[in-house]
Amino acid sequence: MIMKSRFLFPYWCRYLGWGLVLLHVPLTMLGRARGMVNVLDKPSTGLFTGEHLFFICTSLVMVSGLFLVAFAKEKVEDEQIWQIRLDSLRWAIFVNYLALIVSLVFIEDVGHMLDLNLYVPLVFFILRFRWIIFRLNLSTSKEG
Amino acid sequence: MKNNIRVERAIKNITQGELAEQVGVSRQTINTIESQKYVPSTVLALKIARVFGKPLEEVFMLEEGD
Repeated sequence: MIMKSRFLFPYWCRYLGWGLVLLHVPLTMLGRARGMVNVLDKPSTGLFTGEHLFFICTSLVMVSGLFLVAFAKEKVEDEQIWQIRLDSLRWAIFVNYLALIVSLVFIEDVGHMLDLNLYVPLVFFILRFRWIIFRLNLSTSKEG
Repeated sequence: MKNNIRVERAIKNITQGELAEQVGVSRQTINTIESQKYVPSTVLALKIARVFGKPLEEVFMLEEGD
């Protein structure tokens, strides 16, 4: 039986993903320099105005970058990697809901909820997944 | 669950990397199985036993508390 990984992107997508994440920084800075404000930080400006479109574009770049990084295959995608992946996803959902519930109770402004929900699960998943794999590689190289 | 992979590898004179390649997993996975940090699936355990040409129970065995 070959480990089924139909829902993962090919390995090179990881680099494309990091590229998009990095691209997000100059893009946002450029927008800010031209006087664009995060639409979540101010009262509604209406749909598909310049600022709204800018917000959509930058967020899309960032989220699709993180998405590609998170769901690109490892070089050898075996059952242990799969287990780490699932476990990290479980943790990411835990943390996401914890953050959502805490902010639901303690923060009045609900606009940030979108931001939280967009980034927390993916970022936390990537951090935990990479950290566990880093530790795995470390212990393997120690033992030779 | 205990296992004899290290011993069996020594008998067969193959490295972790070679065993990993033969069963289609990463070297890290073989390493963590050997050091009993990861319990392989039944399929993977059967594949490993097949490489050594032994029945499953001679390579993997339950231990107290399993």
